[in-house]
Amino acid sequence: MIRPGLARVVGTSMEPTLREGDLLLVLWGARPRVDSMAIVRLPRDEHGAPRPVSVKRVTGVDPVDPGRWWVERDNPRVGVDSWLVGSLPRSAVLARVLLRIPCRRAPST
Amino acid sequence: MRLRDIFQITEVSAHCDLPCGVYDPAQARIEAESVKMIIQKANQSDDPDFRTRAIVIKEERSELVKHHLWVLWTDYFKPPHFEKYPQLHVLVNEATKLAGAAGTKGEFDEAKADELLAKIAEIDKIFWETKQG
Repeated sequence: MIRPGLARVVGTSMEPTLREGDLLLVLWGARPRVDSMAIVRLPRDEHGAPRPVSVKRVTGVDPVDPGRWWVERDNPRVGVDSWLVGSLPRSAVLARVLLRIPCRRAPST
Repeated sequence: MRLRDIFQITEVSAHCDLPCGVYDPAQARIEAESVKMIIQKANQSDDPDFRTRAIVIKEERSELVKHHLWVLWTDYFKPPHFEKYPQLHVLVNEATKLAGAAGTKGEFDEAKADELLAKIAEIDKIFWETKQG
């Protein structure tokens, strides 16, 4: 089911596009769109610990497996993306980011 | 009535898996693993656009490997460490060369990425020994 929602950004891996505290209008369950940002679930880390739900940019389908999506960070200096963990299945792309809501940036808790 | 009064806000992460400001060879290792993955994917792909982007990102991440190694070399390791581990200078030099133009930055050779990861592992072993005091 597709439904709208809000997401608050924590961290700097999507700078300069998104900054800590930005509020996003998202569409849960919407199909990924190339060049748009998406809320994704990255695979567990090498210790088996779950990574937090993240915001990344969808840059295309996996050139090796067209059924999967390739996601990247906008800030090359920080974070984790498909260049490290590989492409994601459709089920790991949870929402499409529609827009950043202009508002005062609230610090994350 | 505002949007945030209607919807529950979900926190989404856009940060690094590593604590900031902490010396750790894991930073170099993660970027080097990323470089290895880029080489693998680019070698499997016939898409020229993907390969072009892979070249750009591979150069970027290789440069970050060098950066993280230099930070360890210049800021973390101290004269007593170099005295105890005289091979450290050469190790860092060889590792940064493997991430450079003659290594992962300039080539699509997965073996170079493996060599780089092996050098980083050697530096990592020394790093953690120095942490033991």
